[in-house]
Amino acid sequence: MLDKIWLLIFGMAVVTWLPRLLPAALIERMHFSRRMEKFLRLIPYTAMTAMIVPGVFRVDPQRPLIGLAGCLAACLLAWRGASVMVVVLAAIGADLLLYLVF
Amino acid sequence: MNNSWRRQYLRGVHAGLPVIPGFIPVGIAYAVVALSARFNAAETILMSVTVFAGASQMMAVGMYTQGAGMLAIILATFMLNLRHLIMSTCVIHLIRHSPLPVRLLASLGVTDESFGIFTTGQAEDHTAAYFFGLITVTYSAWIAGTALGVFASGLLPDVLTASFSIALYAIFIGIMVPNLTRNLRLALLVLMTAGCNTALSQMMDSSWALILSTLICAALGVFFVDPDTEGKQEKAGQGGVSDAG
Repeated sequence: MLDKIWLLIFGMAVVTWLPRLLPAALIERMHFSRRMEKFLRLIPYTAMTAMIVPGVFRVDPQRPLIGLAGCLAACLLAWRGASVMVVVLAAIGADLLLYLVF
Repeated sequence: MNNSWRRQYLRGVHAGLPVIPGFIPVGIAYAVVALSARFNAAETILMSVTVFAGASQMMAVGMYTQGAGMLAIILATFMLNLRHLIMSTCVIHLIRHSPLPVRLLASLGVTDESFGIFTTGQAEDHTAAYFFGLITVTYSAWIAGTALGVFASGLLPDVLTASFSIALYAIFIGIMVPNLTRNLRLALLVLMTAGCNTALSQMMDSSWALILSTLICAALGVFFVDPDTEGKQEKAGQGGVSDAG
């Protein structure tokens, strides 16, 4: 179990360092087609979305409402222009409130 | 020379300060999620020291909690960090006359935030010293936040720890929603991805569904979403890339 986590961290470090290091090593030779560049810039959005839905409804597998409430609180505040920190605290607060009340 | 290096470094430190209130709570949230995924204190901090990518670390511990395999987590991390290829290109382009070892070291500090601050800065601040000052702050804040989370979570009641589980999702929502309100086609892509991933999750392991829907939907998005209409940070990044090309 312990070895597995250390191996995971090492693997993640390698795949995180590679995209950062490559441009530094190859800056003179780098070229991207506009389509490829667009694709890479959309990946954060599609990846983050896929991480939220449907996983957020299994934050507490017994109570899907916990995920939904936190999600709604976060969306509302983010939509109103709150900073990421406020958004996070509001979502935690909403869930905390639910846990304390029910 | 030495004096100007120091002045530039300190200017970079100053520019990085606003990142602290953002990174500390995210670092704490990451540490809490990691500990609840049964990482020990050393493993939790080691990941922040070596990986230094908030979203990837959050995703990794999230996937680990859901029982995802090691290969799936590393592949998902790679996918998520492909954007750093572009960001690193923009940053490195601005300091391309620095020696190779300096460029390599600087590139390891490229994150969404250091990229945004550096590439939108003034022309005279586009020095390696300034960037090192900037990432000294972001890197320290990230590790300090992680350490705080590791230390504080032992003192937190269970109900609070449970509530922190939503932080992973709230961070992504907080990052995405402001851009979605400015770009409805991007919002449409996000809704499409949510549907796609929900459907694929019924058919296969959720971590592979995540990778597939990320790739398929981003590829489809190329045909109808224009990411250029986001914020000035994205536009600055765009300029850096076309300069490089």
